Amino acid sequence: MSVSGEAELLVRAAQLGDALALAELLDLIAPAVTRWCAPIALQDAQDAAQEALISILRNLHSLRDPAAIYGWARTVAVREAVRVARSARRELPTLLPDGAAADGAQLGVEIRDVLARLDPEQRAVLMLRDVEGLDEHTAAMVLSVPQGTVKSRLFRARRKFRTEWQL
Amino acid sequence: MTWPDTELDPVRRLHVLAAAMPGVSVEQTTLDAPFDFVWGLLSDLEAELPRIVRDVRSLTITRRTPEMPNGDRRLAGERLEAYARGYGGLRARFDIVLRPGWCVMRSRFLVGGMAAAPDGERTVFAFLGGMRVPGQVLAAPLLSAIAGRLTPGVLRHIADRVQETRRASRS
Repeated sequence: MSVSGEAELLVRAAQLGDALALAELLDLIAPAVTRWCAPIALQDAQDAAQEALISILRNLHSLRDPAAIYGWARTVAVREAVRVARSARRELPTLLPDGAAADGAQLGVEIRDVLARLDPEQRAVLMLRDVEGLDEHTAAMVLSVPQGTVKSRLFRARRKFRTEWQL
Repeated sequence: MTWPDTELDPVRRLHVLAAAMPGVSVEQTTLDAPFDFVWGLLSDLEAELPRIVRDVRSLTITRRTPEMPNGDRRLAGERLEAYARGYGGLRARFDIVLRPGWCVMRSRFLVGGMAAAPDGERTVFAFLGGMRVPGQVLAAPLLSAIAGRLTPGVLRHIADRVQETRRASRS
């Protein structure tokens, strides 16, 4: 059985109150949820993923089409990751201080350090478009913003990413 | 170049499960023993559940299914079927999922779970317990309150049992 078919069956059983189905659904979707949250929430990714999964499983009853579980879960995960990243932003240390930028290449700067210099919303649009491969329309729906906003946000995110990466 | 990724350990997952299920309670502690020791002990459900959950007189595993039919690792874990007998005349059939660091069990009226994750030479451990009854959503606050009074006691029994077994294994 396909993963989406498996998920659909588990959603239906979990919606009827089957605790084991809920646990198995958690097993099935947790890797995807953490993968969506990690590039956006960075060091707070585990908190974001935990909050997202709670929200997904608690509101499972409102999902009318169980086959849509992955798309719906992605929307919830991205929203939670942006929220957690924004609320933690004041405490977020600059992982790559300006003075160290010139040494970035020698220090083996990882993508995480560059992402930390982008806004959570920019990280979200980069992840959806360049990692998940979503089209503009779908990314706009996930982020609840107009397509034009996705386009401009992506342009700025890519430009900033390239600039930071080359430093 | 590595795109960031992470994973949730079993203890965090058990908290997710508890938050999503009405009428259950979850408690967490840190046990002063390594993960392999803790899980090696507690995953022997037939021997240990009657010791740590005082209402359970015996638990008999009647069927073991090593893997899911499709062998999908995302749904990893042994599937067990067990019958529990309690001191108050309780008899219940449980379906159980068991794998290292993770155990969830469900009967018609009860749900339980254990999760563990290594923390250096110690082990972070969580225990979930609760009841499932008709009209559960309405009764959830009451059921959670009842479960919340029971789970700390179970955690104490578990901590005592781990220490007792560790001392015995050293002597």
